[in-house]
Amino acid sequence: MSGIVTVIIDEKQITVPEGANLLRAALDNGVYIPHLCANEETEKPAASCRLCFVEIDGFLNPVTACTQQVKEGMVVRTRSRRIDRLVQTAFELLLSNHRLGCAKCARNGSCELQKIAKERGLKLKLTRLKSVVQETPIDDSPETFVYDASRCVLCGQCIWVDRHRVKVGAIGFIRRGMSRKVATFGETGFAKSRCTQCGECVKVCPVGALIPKAQG
Amino acid sequence: MEPMEEPKEEPMEDELEIIHAEVDSVLKRYESNPEKLIPILQGVQAKLGYLPKEAMLQIADAVQIPEVEVYGVGTFYNQFRLNPPGKHQIKVCMGTACHMTGGRIIMDSFERRLEIPEGETTPDREFSLERVACVGCCALAPVVLVDEEVEAKVRPTRVDGILLGFGMELPSANNKQKEEGREE
Amino acid sequence: MSVSGLKVEQAYQQLKIQAQQKLAGLQEKPYVLVGTATCGRAAGALNVMETFCNEIEKHQLDVKVLEVGCMGHCYAEPMVVINKPGFPQLCYGSVDEGIAARLVSDYLANDDPCFEFAMAALEPNDLFPTFSDYPRGVYEQKIVLTDCGLIDPQDIDHYLARDGYTALAKALDMGPDSVIAEIKNSKLRGRGGAGFPTGIKWETCKNAAGTPKYVICNADEGDPGAFMDRALLESNPHQLLEGLTIAAYAIGAAKGYIYVRAEYPLAITRLRTAIEQAREKGLLGESVLGSKFSFDIKIFQGSGAFVCGEETALIASIEGNAGIPNNRPPFPAISGFHGKPTIINNVKTLSYVSHIINHGADWFKSIGTPNSPGTAVFALAGKVVGTGLAEVPMGTTLRTLVYDVGNGIKDDKNFKAVQIGGPSGGCLPEPALDLPIDFDSLQEAGAMMGSGGLVVLDEDDCMVEIARFFLEFTQHESCGKCTFCRLGTKQMLDILTDITQGRGKPEDIDLLWELAEDIKIGSLCALGKTAPNPVLTTIRFFRSEYEAHIEEGRCPALMCKDLITYHIVPEKCSKLCDACIGSCPVEAVYTRPDMLKAIDLEKCVKCDNCLVTCLTLYQAVAKKSPPVVEEGES
Repeated sequence: MSGIVTVIIDEKQITVPEGANLLRAALDNGVYIPHLCANEETEKPAASCRLCFVEIDGFLNPVTACTQQVKEGMVVRTRSRRIDRLVQTAFELLLSNHRLGCAKCARNGSCELQKIAKERGLKLKLTRLKSVVQETPIDDSPETFVYDASRCVLCGQCIWVDRHRVKVGAIGFIRRGMSRKVATFGETGFAKSRCTQCGECVKVCPVGALIPKAQG
Repeated sequence: MEPMEEPKEEPMEDELEIIHAEVDSVLKRYESNPEKLIPILQGVQAKLGYLPKEAMLQIADAVQIPEVEVYGVGTFYNQFRLNPPGKHQIKVCMGTACHMTGGRIIMDSFERRLEIPEGETTPDREFSLERVACVGCCALAPVVLVDEEVEAKVRPTRVDGILLGFGMELPSANNKQKEEGREE
Repeated sequence: MSVSGLKVEQAYQQLKIQAQQKLAGLQEKPYVLVGTATCGRAAGALNVMETFCNEIEKHQLDVKVLEVGCMGHCYAEPMVVINKPGFPQLCYGSVDEGIAARLVSDYLANDDPCFEFAMAALEPNDLFPTFSDYPRGVYEQKIVLTDCGLIDPQDIDHYLARDGYTALAKALDMGPDSVIAEIKNSKLRGRGGAGFPTGIKWETCKNAAGTPKYVICNADEGDPGAFMDRALLESNPHQLLEGLTIAAYAIGAAKGYIYVRAEYPLAITRLRTAIEQAREKGLLGESVLGSKFSFDIKIFQGSGAFVCGEETALIASIEGNAGIPNNRPPFPAISGFHGKPTIINNVKTLSYVSHIINHGADWFKSIGTPNSPGTAVFALAGKVVGTGLAEVPMGTTLRTLVYDVGNGIKDDKNFKAVQIGGPSGGCLPEPALDLPIDFDSLQEAGAMMGSGGLVVLDEDDCMVEIARFFLEFTQHESCGKCTFCRLGTKQMLDILTDITQGRGKPEDIDLLWELAEDIKIGSLCALGKTAPNPVLTTIRFFRSEYEAHIEEGRCPALMCKDLITYHIVPEKCSKLCDACIGSCPVEAVYTRPDMLKAIDLEKCVKCDNCLVTCLTLYQAVAKKSPPVVEEGES
């Protein structure tokens, strides 16, 4: 019963297929909701970045848009005091573990964090929180790209393409808690792993963690 | 802080053979089923005392998943270790009751005597020191697991006692000073 | 009763009669039960048991020595029960080798029951008081703990002889729908923490599309300070197996798992034995008790990750992955293990099942409160005299639990708080003592039933430090997947560490509060959502302690190491004693020319050893906060 349903997002009427992903529906219809980990092609959303909070009528607390399916008559708000506060905190938390310095970053101008900051009027520096960035050596072993774990936001996009699109299986999440990170087997660096250096992971990195090597 | 254990040592040639044979025997038991990854890793660690990189590679190959997946699981759980443990394993309980009755003090005492931080093994591979998140003996806090035996209501003096029991020599200055003190 | 029902009943009766005959044979002669659960062993139970065996042999007596589980009186471990025909069954506490030898020579070889060592009798008699003659016994009402410490967990016949597996036979005759109706009607709520109605979970799973269905027992008891699941597994594993089998029958599952944490090796051993014996008796495996229902159980050993107590993480772990939670819904009852309908119940929850089937939902509802019927099992630990397991009706007040059941605070200190519910729970102050405890009242107070860990804190315990401890725990155990839990708890931990080390800033308290509120809503799973509770409750009820740390650099409880120094009070010090010097591991204590002892603050590592050593002698060692910068050599 794949009918078409009408939902209201920020007072804008949108018609989408029933059961469509709410985050996707909003984005496809020109309503921006911050997000990093969402992936169009996965069935199970990771729901790990905690940026896409929205309010839906009938729900007590804000919920992540990526885990909601649209239903007929759904009334959604992407901005409110509560949502803005949650998104701000999530954003600041991510920033507290992201090595700042946009000027020297190759992703400057195309960075998803910058986009979120611009859309939501958030600062790209820490005011409330302290930096908890752990200094990790930059892996420049691959010929075509560089991996800087201290800029990684753990969105998992690179791992997904590695596993499901190019089917190499070179990288994955390792450890847990604050030590969780994207790494190769044995943390030996990309060049010593089964990575084929196809560069697909670099394309999907929303921040400056995986960046192409400067030519020449 | 979380001790960051990274694989350090490369096994020797003959060690490699043992690793491969042991891993094989464990894999046979679980029919190389990827869903049995955790029991397989537990089985291998039970035999070898830790998870050598070579073992993880062999397991990944057998159950047909990327080796980084095995590494991810091996580094996720507290129980798995990537390096050989000490001959004697000391686990200090850090549950609520133990913490409130001085578990940290006991950990400090071991760290001081063994001269290693929590999560590491002494250079002579005699002792490894770990924390454990509650062994369920809260009424006897603070407790320490010494080679799987529970030591109840441990004090810093008992820490010395435990180590002396393993033939470890403690700084003798302590006794010396006592004697000197008496002479004065 | 149907024909197949008759067959089941006959099969069961046969097992039971065999078991009862065997037990009757045992009871004709004297026997000794030694509590050898992990807590008993830690207190030396195995040595005591060896002494019993050796002495019995020496006296050439025909006395059996059996290993049993834990009666819950951890403060009195090792515990021993002696049964001698002609005498009441007597329980002895804090038994050491010497007492064990005496019990053999005086009681077993002769007829002196050594009342001086006895704690209580198990049944009313003319000679000695029973447990119900003490406050603990008056307020306790045992359901799931009834047989713990009294039956041999390694011998299924002990369980069968006491009507064990009756409920399974009855359930097989009732049919799945009636079983679910009974559990639903009993209003049994999940004892793992959140208190979700068990019957509804079962019904959802039964009605969910998809086969095969699975049942999983969550025995990944990870709350630091909770050990009741361990005690139940080690003391009465068949009670759990029976509950799990009934659950499987009710929802139509053929396969079950018990997810046990690896830190409980003895529990795993005893469970294995129990499962094997149940299989041998036809209580597990193909066609249970001759019925059409087949069911088998596998043990899955955890590998040390607190987050695996969360349902979706637990499933990920059994499936061979890192224990990382997924978004719910879908709930496991709809899509769980292998994407199939799965129920996950806690050890205690399942342990109630056989009792409800045997005695009926109305009986269960007659105990406890209307919305939280039944009993609650608490693990009493910390600064309470009567540490151990206590089972009381829901609705009992914390005061009764701490002062009557637990016999009050150790060493005549002043009560400060109870920490209830572990890392997801909170710290409740003195006025909360009159709170009748059930799932809802605790939640309202900002704490949680959790799995029932109850740590009593006294005046010497720092509330900021306990909050920091729990945040350190959750931070250490966070899977790291979601932003709020991974980084939010890290930020909170860093702030709390600063406060306990004297680097706190006045705005820190508000920042902690803001972060806590956001983490509660923003986290992906229950581990993150409840992680701020210890901080929120301590700020709410003990704000002044936070302020003392921040504004004065003072730890009111004299606990935070960086905010205290150790001193020897000259007026109290005996010049002739040097116990403190001997106790110091770093030679910080020295003798002054006037023979008084003093502490070199430069060298002192604040291990507390001298203070404890002197406590029984002169009480001359004292702590000061804020720390004294120079050693005042008065």
